[in-house]
Amino acid sequence: MSLDNYTIVISGLGGQGLIRLIQILGNALMINGYEVITSETHGLSQRGGKVTCFLRFGSKVNAPIPMIGTADMIIALEESSILDALKYAKPNKSTKLVISSYEKQILGIEYPSLKYILDILFEISNNIYILPLTDIAVKHTGNIKTMNSVLLGYILKFLPLNKKDLEQFLSYNFSGKTLEMNLKAFNEGLKLK
Amino acid sequence: MEDIYNKISKGKAGEKRFFLGNEAIVRGALESGVDVYTYYPGTPSSEVGEIFMDIFKKVGMKWVESSINEKVAIEVAGAAYARGATTMVGMKNVGLNVASDPLFALATTRPNNKNSAMVILVADDPQQHSSAVEMDSRNYLKIFKIPALEPSNPQECLEFTKEAFKISRELKLPVILRTVTMVSHARSNVRIGEIKQSEIESEFDLSKEVNVALRIYSLEMKKNHIYNRMNRALELSENSSLNRIENGKAKNEYELGIITSGVSYSYVHEALNFLEMEAPTLKIGFINPLPEKLIVEFIKQYKEVFIVEENDAYLETQVLAMAHKNSLKVKIHGKDPFSYSKEKSLLPFVGELNPTKVALALMKITRLEPKMDFKQIDEKKYDVMARKPILCAGCPHRTTGYTLQKAVKKIKSRTGKKVYFYQDIGCYTLLALPPFDFANVKYCMGSSIALAQGVAQTSESLNVAIIGDGTFYHSGIPALLNGIYNKAPILVLILDNGWIGMTGQQPNPGSDTRYYKEGSYKKNIILEELLEGTGAHVNVIKYYENNDENYFTKLKDLIYQIGLDVLENRNLHVIVIKNECIQKIIKRQAPAIRYVDNELCNNCGICYSQFLCPAIDEKENVAFIDSNICLGCGICEEICPNNAINREELE
Repeated sequence: MSLDNYTIVISGLGGQGLIRLIQILGNALMINGYEVITSETHGLSQRGGKVTCFLRFGSKVNAPIPMIGTADMIIALEESSILDALKYAKPNKSTKLVISSYEKQILGIEYPSLKYILDILFEISNNIYILPLTDIAVKHTGNIKTMNSVLLGYILKFLPLNKKDLEQFLSYNFSGKTLEMNLKAFNEGLKLK
Repeated sequence: MEDIYNKISKGKAGEKRFFLGNEAIVRGALESGVDVYTYYPGTPSSEVGEIFMDIFKKVGMKWVESSINEKVAIEVAGAAYARGATTMVGMKNVGLNVASDPLFALATTRPNNKNSAMVILVADDPQQHSSAVEMDSRNYLKIFKIPALEPSNPQECLEFTKEAFKISRELKLPVILRTVTMVSHARSNVRIGEIKQSEIESEFDLSKEVNVALRIYSLEMKKNHIYNRMNRALELSENSSLNRIENGKAKNEYELGIITSGVSYSYVHEALNFLEMEAPTLKIGFINPLPEKLIVEFIKQYKEVFIVEENDAYLETQVLAMAHKNSLKVKIHGKDPFSYSKEKSLLPFVGELNPTKVALALMKITRLEPKMDFKQIDEKKYDVMARKPILCAGCPHRTTGYTLQKAVKKIKSRTGKKVYFYQDIGCYTLLALPPFDFANVKYCMGSSIALAQGVAQTSESLNVAIIGDGTFYHSGIPALLNGIYNKAPILVLILDNGWIGMTGQQPNPGSDTRYYKEGSYKKNIILEELLEGTGAHVNVIKYYENNDENYFTKLKDLIYQIGLDVLENRNLHVIVIKNECIQKIIKRQAPAIRYVDNELCNNCGICYSQFLCPAIDEKENVAFIDSNICLGCGICEEICPNNAINREELE
């Protein structure tokens, strides 16, 4: 598989490991010959607030931020966070929406209903994947934080990468028991339909 | 796991690395033979200092320090620069305000030593992702009169850093390397070069004629600064490959050319592609002094020129002046900087730029309509969750806020007096948000203590300054001394978490570094001892070291008693609340996670709706602690009125 000028938007909450996620993907894409650029938010804005990161790759270097209406894939690490990134979806409904079913409630604010979210998503895209990433992470590794490795396993089929590329960069980012757990989570993601 | 030392300092010329912009800057400095790096952490510049702190002994640099503030950082590096070191200083945009005083003098001096070089990294934060104000540091370039380079991506971060050192070494002027969040915090493929060894000499010249800012020397130095060194800088800028015309032969029916720099250049590229339009683009990398000849030759060819830049109209005001000076009849589009008008400005003065904003502006100039109706996408609104940044689970500032709220309520009901709060820069700034709302006035680093004095000296209210230890050392000390000698009746709470928490727990002068590398070459200042000497009334309260079970009640009573003394006897008090940053603690020891005993919990909600610990939620009519988020501070155990929270999980 070869992709060009490909844009992934990742939306979630500070502390969910977005930076590590794009670091692993970006590094793996680079060694596969792609020009990659990502952008991320550090510092105060990451603490529990909303975070949107971009990862773009292809044969040429791109801007760290894409145009709205041009993303190929939008990943939400928290269900309602998908709504924050929908302006990047293509109007032709081809953008893949990969959504973790994890819900982080806020006290005193009503969480948007699944129906509200789904009604919007069906208008935006024909490729919607809602995944129980946190449940899988907890079930197989006992740790919610491995959900991003489950996600990496799942999205591998959409990307021009091999299993071993991602395993290699997981091992650059984790060690010991944490690495073992993440590799297990990654394998669970690969199995996910 | 990959080690940062190997990642940054190993590798042969031509190899590729996936680098953060800031990592590429470190590599660029190492490839320039850097001897000294001094910095004060500030997002988005902090990683540069962190990496240098980590690797400097191993790579053989002379000295690296996390300085007490940016002024001191410039001065330490400044004298090293004077004596022939290749130096670099790092800070965020607002840090340059603090460093500006010595920098005026430094810019005029002219070291006599061959290897003297100084690059100043200034990282701006458009959109205030992690800043108190939005500030475009480029405006300083005109008053300092020093050269500046602006990279647009991580690869350029490496190359421009090297170029900056080269220019500085040649001209004997400090050179600013200006980045923004989307450059410092972009990650990309970076082709590395060869590491260069230090060439610092042990013999050096510190002649006063070129280093002393004193009228009899300075006026001569200033003449040399402007007419010789900056004149030569202009020559370098005119001929620099960092300023380049891209797509020079491109034609468009509007006869439009574009001038841009930094990250905005990549947005221009993106917007032109999207609109399927071509336009010759002058990309400026050498942003001070601007290459007048090159710019004039460029704009001469077009009927219309569009200047694309983020925040202030730094390029545009100068290009307007150049067009006038050279009697050019060209229409210059941009921000219409003299109008202060939102309607007349094609690009915003406020907030981060992006390709969408550039495309919309280009559409206004050209009346092009893209195939995709993206205005409609831009205007579409969804009912999204409002999420504010929150303090970490286990953050000691939450305990302080929660306790302060109770104590203040008691003071108010006892005295009937008003209580006001003055905030500073740190994680605790988040106590300004509901439910605490501890903020009436807040400006910049170190200002809380003086702000409290302004109201205390003119009213009968209780005025509480909230400041962290790092910020107190940075610039709070003079304000405290001011309050003591002017007998200001204020209450100063120093939330001493031992580190510069917000930017990633870098050390400050009070940090207990004995568990860390820097412990071997740092002495930690004892804050209480420092305060004792000032004549202030000082109280110190600790939690973690003692794991005091009545900590919460003690702190509340202490604030209450002292608050009354400030009001009734008009004394100045300092309470030092010593609780180490939880993020640092969990790097040393596994957290003692707490659990809820469902039998004892009556779902009063104190832990999750008043204390607002992000690790605690309500689940099936009892409180539920998420063991993946809990960091084991244990305050919930103490505030639970039913003793339902314990260290042990019940089977």
